[in-house]
Amino acid sequence: MAYEVKEENSKDGRKVLRISKESLLELMGDIKGSGYDSLSLISTVDFRDRIEVVYHLTNSRTEEMLAIKSETRDSRMPSVTSLFESANWDEREQYDMMGIIFEGHPDLKRILLPEGWVGYPLRKDYDLSKVQYVNMDDEGNDRVSFDPGDGW
Amino acid sequence: MKTGDSGFITTTMDRAMEWARSNSIWPLTFGLACCAIEMMAMQASRLDVSRFGSEVFRNSPRQSDLMIVSGTVTKKMAPRLRRLYDEMPYPKYVIAMGVCVIQGGPYNQGYSVVLGVDRVVPVDVYVPGCPPTPEALTNGIILLQKKIRNETER
Repeated sequence: MAYEVKEENSKDGRKVLRISKESLLELMGDIKGSGYDSLSLISTVDFRDRIEVVYHLTNSRTEEMLAIKSETRDSRMPSVTSLFESANWDEREQYDMMGIIFEGHPDLKRILLPEGWVGYPLRKDYDLSKVQYVNMDDEGNDRVSFDPGDGW
Repeated sequence: MKTGDSGFITTTMDRAMEWARSNSIWPLTFGLACCAIEMMAMQASRLDVSRFGSEVFRNSPRQSDLMIVSGTVTKKMAPRLRRLYDEMPYPKYVIAMGVCVIQGGPYNQGYSVVLGVDRVVPVDVYVPGCPPTPEALTNGIILLQKKIRNETER
């Protein structure tokens, strides 16, 4: 193995691996080959100076679960869509809410919020005092503005 | 209204229209969040709302008279809600169900929720609760019937 993995134990006994983001793809490929064939979820934690990305994997035969933690300081991560198809929407959700740019993602755009929304609302530094309003044109496309008269 | 012995009644046209309208309020099938579960319970057999004449939930806004906004209205949903409301024929009524719809509820401090559906469409009856019980919503419909018949409720 060319990469360095740190193993931690969580409170519920689930195995947790910590890996640098440069070696993430390599580790994920090996882990997938060892039987963890389902990517259940991708979650993120904002620590202000860095963002931790957690990949939750399941071995569908033995029903074992595993979490792989990695962190980024420049909001960029390698995309795992080449290994897991289900990562497509998971990564779009994390891009939508946390603003993490997954490099190599085939279609990285917002999934829940309307296109044109300013900022990433689950970040700690998101400014709640600047209220945004959404309206829809005749074709059904969303428009976002800061003007209360233009939308709801 | 005056009844005679000869088998007919006299009334005004307005009264008759109000009576007919208030006893055939057809709601739109429109559930947004958990309040919709209580709305379904109100419609189902135990607390059958068809006793009050609103049994058919219509799937098309063109055929419905009442919009029960049942659940959190997000900012992305608000223009769609407005369009559905605009597609309903007159006379049309709106019931705001639950605190999310009335003023934002637990999402009041959030970034994505409209703080009151009365910013989007005019509301006739507010039914508070989180979620309101089906009985409360039935009471809201009875209140709306009284409003249509121009009876005062105090």
